[in-house]
Amino acid sequence: MAESKIIIGIADMKMAKGEGMLVTYALGSCIGICLSDPMLKLGALIHIMLPLNMETGRKNTMKYADTGIRETLKQMEAKGAKRNRITAKIAGGAKMFEDGGGSLGNIGLRNIESVHMNLKKEGIHLLKEDVGGSVARTLLFDVNSGLCCIRCYGRPELII
Amino acid sequence: MEIKNYDELNSLELDTLREVGSIGTGNAATALSQMLGRQVRITMPEVRIMEYNEAIEWIGGPEEITAGVLVKLSGQLSGIMLSVQSLEFVNIVLESMLSMTVKDYTELAELEGSALVEVGNIMISTFINALSGLAGMDVNLTVPAFTVDMQGAILAVPMAEYGGQSDYIMTIGGNFVCDDKQVPCRLLMSPDLRSLNALLRKLGVSNG
Repeated sequence: MAESKIIIGIADMKMAKGEGMLVTYALGSCIGICLSDPMLKLGALIHIMLPLNMETGRKNTMKYADTGIRETLKQMEAKGAKRNRITAKIAGGAKMFEDGGGSLGNIGLRNIESVHMNLKKEGIHLLKEDVGGSVARTLLFDVNSGLCCIRCYGRPELII
Repeated sequence: MEIKNYDELNSLELDTLREVGSIGTGNAATALSQMLGRQVRITMPEVRIMEYNEAIEWIGGPEEITAGVLVKLSGQLSGIMLSVQSLEFVNIVLESMLSMTVKDYTELAELEGSALVEVGNIMISTFINALSGLAGMDVNLTVPAFTVDMQGAILAVPMAEYGGQSDYIMTIGGNFVCDDKQVPCRLLMSPDLRSLNALLRKLGVSNG
């Protein structure tokens, strides 16, 4: 696997071409979306926090599933990626606290639904996913091979 | 004037919130001291307004495993309150209450877990009681929830809850010193914006 690590924060997106390891840490209810054009070996990783952008005037597109996916696809296409080649892998969307009464809602679940819906709407094929549950995930995305490695506390590493 | 984002707070308002934090954590420290039968002091309480990724660096990196107790506030003040407990703090609690210690979080069984929840819950409730008395606001608390996981994901819970309102997270809280040793156990309160405005109004410092 490639050496150089590119770290993606919350509500952020970064891309790499050819080689590179895109990493985002501690996805709780947030979701990491890996988009990849295997022919160009162009990969992008988005760390979204919420399902829908309902802000007026604020510019933080990568905070939300809908605007994050749309904007990233636009930027990938600007680098020559083709929509029908781009595939996706996602991880995250957990429910960190089991709160019985459910007063916290389930942002993780709403994030998963929104990501599914928006990928479908944009015509992006979802290859693999590791979502839900109650564990935090660290996601490493190797742009060259297109493989994702998911690291959790108290669970063996998972490659998808 | 109502504030629309956390970074609009002026220095008088920040001082007031720091005082709220000081009274809250002070009361929580007294409760903790009684529970553990040890001397507990607090460090300088802080009010912080941070961008998400800054907040995660501040608490000590995203992947660090910690125990977290979460209580949701509703009523006249809504928000989320977290007690973030490091392994060192966990061991002080377990030693005092159950005469045992653990080497890492995986050794925590149900009994140990519920001791930590109880300690977190009592500290949070004491904090809120003090605040509610000070401001004359009715605050309801949910049953505490508990998890052991990466602290980045734990801190992301209040962020996600209020993420639609702001790009910042505000925390009021402090650290504890048990028997003259600083123990990383943070008590953090993240109010939503509407409640923050109401709190400042009640305390008489809302500008205008």
